[in-house]
Amino acid sequence: MRHLKTLNQKAARIEQYVKEQEAIAAEGEDVVALQRGGVPQSAPNIPLGCAVIFSPGWEVDRTGGTAGLCQPVERDLFDCHIGCYWPAQVPDQLNHAPDWTNKCAAAQKDWRKIDLIFP
Amino acid sequence: MAACTAWIRALVLAGGIGAALLPSSAFAQAVAADAGIPIESDLVKSKCGGCHKPDANNRMTRISYRRASPENWERTIERMVTINKAAVSAADARAIVKYLADHNGLAPSEARPIAFEFERRLIEWTYDGDKDVATLCSGCHAFSRVMSERRTKDEWAGLVSMHRGYYPLTDNQPILNGSGFRRSRSLPPEETDKRQPMEKAIDYFAKTFPLVTADWTEWTSAVTPANLGGRWAVTANIPGKGPAYGEMTVTADASPDTFVTKTTMTVAKTGETVSRTGKALIYTGYQWRGRGADAGKPDEPWREVMFVERDRTEMWGRWFTGAYDEIGIDVKLAKISGSPMVLGAGQLALKRGGSASVTIFGANLPATLAPGDVSLGAGITVSGVAVANGVVTARVAVAADAKAGPRDVVVAGVVKPSSLVVYDKVDGVRVLPRAGLARTGGAVFPKGFQQFEAMAFANGPDGKPNTRDDWPLGLVDAKWGVEEYSATFNDDDLKYVGTIDAKTGFFTPALDGPNPARSGNRNNIGDLWITADYTPEGAAEPIRARAQIVVAPPVYMRWMASEVGK
Repeated sequence: MRHLKTLNQKAARIEQYVKEQEAIAAEGEDVVALQRGGVPQSAPNIPLGCAVIFSPGWEVDRTGGTAGLCQPVERDLFDCHIGCYWPAQVPDQLNHAPDWTNKCAAAQKDWRKIDLIFP
Repeated sequence: MAACTAWIRALVLAGGIGAALLPSSAFAQAVAADAGIPIESDLVKSKCGGCHKPDANNRMTRISYRRASPENWERTIERMVTINKAAVSAADARAIVKYLADHNGLAPSEARPIAFEFERRLIEWTYDGDKDVATLCSGCHAFSRVMSERRTKDEWAGLVSMHRGYYPLTDNQPILNGSGFRRSRSLPPEETDKRQPMEKAIDYFAKTFPLVTADWTEWTSAVTPANLGGRWAVTANIPGKGPAYGEMTVTADASPDTFVTKTTMTVAKTGETVSRTGKALIYTGYQWRGRGADAGKPDEPWREVMFVERDRTEMWGRWFTGAYDEIGIDVKLAKISGSPMVLGAGQLALKRGGSASVTIFGANLPATLAPGDVSLGAGITVSGVAVANGVVTARVAVAADAKAGPRDVVVAGVVKPSSLVVYDKVDGVRVLPRAGLARTGGAVFPKGFQQFEAMAFANGPDGKPNTRDDWPLGLVDAKWGVEEYSATFNDDDLKYVGTIDAKTGFFTPALDGPNPARSGNRNNIGDLWITADYTPEGAAEPIRARAQIVVAPPVYMRWMASEVGK
């Protein structure tokens, strides 16, 4: 990194990140393998019970993290509802909950009025 | 004919897939040609017969050509009520589920491999049959849901059509992160099987999960009324607390296959006691579905799902509670007869060269015992024994050269194999589960919690860590904490997603809903490392173990069948 000059914000963030990691390493802390005799973790660690088969994922994205998810979920919730995109997670407009959005015009604002559906 | 109307409406809305389905009259004729199961219940015939017409042999369309678990029958009847507007009272619905699960149910050998489905466990499990078919179904539910049914080929086709009709997107939804679609996955050139994925699935189901099986035929002739009344010794494992032992008294209730229960349990490590009363129902002669509540907490019901072994002397399963059934204990019950039983020890391990007080739990054990009546094997000297409330407490000294390894516990000649292990030193600590899942809640939707526990391990015979022969030494009192799991730059999950109890390892997620304090109004979702610090006896530095937790949004649908225990 010494020979490169940062030009944009992302590059500055990378530089900052590297600095932080170097500082942690200088303090002698182990930042990678915290579990003694640790198990190598090469693959994403995806918790059980997650629906990962659709993109971008409900609980985690394909890397096993939460960075790539649709956020906040309320922003896109009614689209999932109308399109039956997440039939196991979000009530579908077609059959199970045709009136789900009645009490709530914009989920991002009125999310407290969203009902739990017992299909 | 409300069912048919909704069915047709779904098909019309689905658009373009009607050609894949048989018209309802042709469908009825097609299924009638198979060997269906006659329905003898007047209640089922009167409540379901409006749409599902019985033939001359009492075989009703659809119903007679399917076998399923109690939970699956419950889901079906709930769907008939919510979507098809069938008029069925709650009491009638329960009686219908009972009849159908008994007469059109699963054989024990069919239910045993997928017990986790009914026990609502989050376990690591992969279906070892056809991968394409498993992928097709497991986008929305575990493949074990499919395995909790048996159908004729036409019935399987009907089930697939139902999914395509109700969820039109199932045909063209991107799966596996955009690598293909259910309907038109990209086939490699060498692939000779050009069948549409749904067609392939129907063929596979018909062959693998047929209506008529030798196991079901055998079970229907062998099954006898489940007389489970009596005393049962309970051995339990409570996440975060360790082993617990106790007794359940089962008494036959008024109706056939119903029981009332009274349970007491003692957590070996802490001495705390649990006292619970409940009711239970037996389906198909072996499936225990119960519901109980702790004394003084009638509003916090625990569900009980257990598998009763054919000789009716043992049953096992899971008791659980929580909005997502996420809080649960593993249980194993053994029928108490006249003879003494040893259930197990209060701890999993004894350190070489040390002394300890070992509690041993059992049933019908003698009221007085001498040190010579208790044995833990060579190298372990029992110096004193006391018996109080049926629990044996033995003072033991473990020789410095005692052989390391699993030990049997013997009390008054009764042997409990591999009850505890003698070890040299703690080689490591693991946080269990390795990857946890919690769900935001508390504002509108209920929270989904996650209990972690820190298990000490010794390396075992091979001397290597993280191998199958490692010996679990029991839960240790670790200091719990959280660390950032860096998924993005400037990841701020640590501040928002939830907290862990430093003493108990119980993770509580934050509130649901968008959070204005977070960038982009993100929900309080995210991922963290859970850390557990434990300093073994005599060690200078703590051992740190960690696990991941994902805090996810709520699930807005409640699919789990929870009425079967009522």
